[in-house]
Amino acid sequence: MTTIIIIKSVEHQSSVREVLGSVVDEGERVHFLRLPTVRCLGPLIQEINPMINYGIDYTINCLPQEYNVATLVEFAVEAGADRICISISDRTLTGKARIDDLTQAILLHDEISGDFVVGEHAIILEELEYGE
Amino acid sequence: MLRIEFRINLAGIPLRLFDIEEQVNSIEIDNALPVSGDMVFLFLSVQFDSEVSKEFLSDQLSDLDVVDVTQAELNHHIYYLSVVANLSDASVLSLLTENQAIPHRIVGKNAHLEVMASVRDWNHLKKVANDIESEHGSLELLGTTQTERIGFPLGGNKIKQSMSGKLSEEQLEVLETAYQMGYFKVPQEVTAEEIAGELDISRSTLSARLRRVEHNFCALLFGPQE
Repeated sequence: MTTIIIIKSVEHQSSVREVLGSVVDEGERVHFLRLPTVRCLGPLIQEINPMINYGIDYTINCLPQEYNVATLVEFAVEAGADRICISISDRTLTGKARIDDLTQAILLHDEISGDFVVGEHAIILEELEYGE
Repeated sequence: MLRIEFRINLAGIPLRLFDIEEQVNSIEIDNALPVSGDMVFLFLSVQFDSEVSKEFLSDQLSDLDVVDVTQAELNHHIYYLSVVANLSDASVLSLLTENQAIPHRIVGKNAHLEVMASVRDWNHLKKVANDIESEHGSLELLGTTQTERIGFPLGGNKIKQSMSGKLSEEQLEVLETAYQMGYFKVPQEVTAEEIAGELDISRSTLSARLRRVEHNFCALLFGPQE
């Protein structure tokens, strides 16, 4: 199984830990995909140490400056991603996971579908299927 | 099942109400019942900035079939309106139900309609969002959570609706503070003195306000005292 974890901020350690700890199985491949606004994942990766602590094989990639949802879906298709995980950075007044523009664009995109799970710190899109 | 919150531009009856010559703070669609054909009974709670007369409201909404206008008992800025309208006047509601999504709350404020609804899954969310976006031009998803229970559908939270406007701001503040601080738990997590301290009121004032709240609840449940 292949998982993409979208990194919107290096401070989102709890969502990465949740995904690696309770979603991804040992030996699976994870792509840490940072937004262009996130400068460097070094400290985050050092702190979490995915290979040692979770036994996963990982790569780090970056979305281009002019990215849009199509760029992201294209990356997911090329990577053969079964899951896309997005950190929950905020909650609404009623306690719901706040949805930002990128998450909305993914959720409402025609070319991607699957199961939608809302975790404690991350939204997990899994069993992904891609359109034509 | 997914519970979603989203925001769309004002439309239909809420838009018309915000256009009248008086400051409207919020409009909530409390319930809707089919009449015949494309017509629907809509029950609304409308909060104004100040008191308005029933005549003024009926006059301002003359193009609608206004069946009843009732002022809330304690909060005189809240009015309960019953109108017969076309389904298109509550298009977001009809789009939700046509798509078999469950509407929970539809509130108009700050130039938007904020909607809470339940959908089955991701595909259902897409279908509902696309239909609403096609009709209303844009849709902004605000939040989501997963739930096993349907919860209260629109019009189902009768106690909350019935109490709306029947408690004063002070009574609501006391009740909410006491509830949030754990006053009603067994064993109590906070003393009356601590709540009074939090609200900067005396213990006797706190006690009187809580008794009035209980009295209003009893009046709602059992009717007025003989």
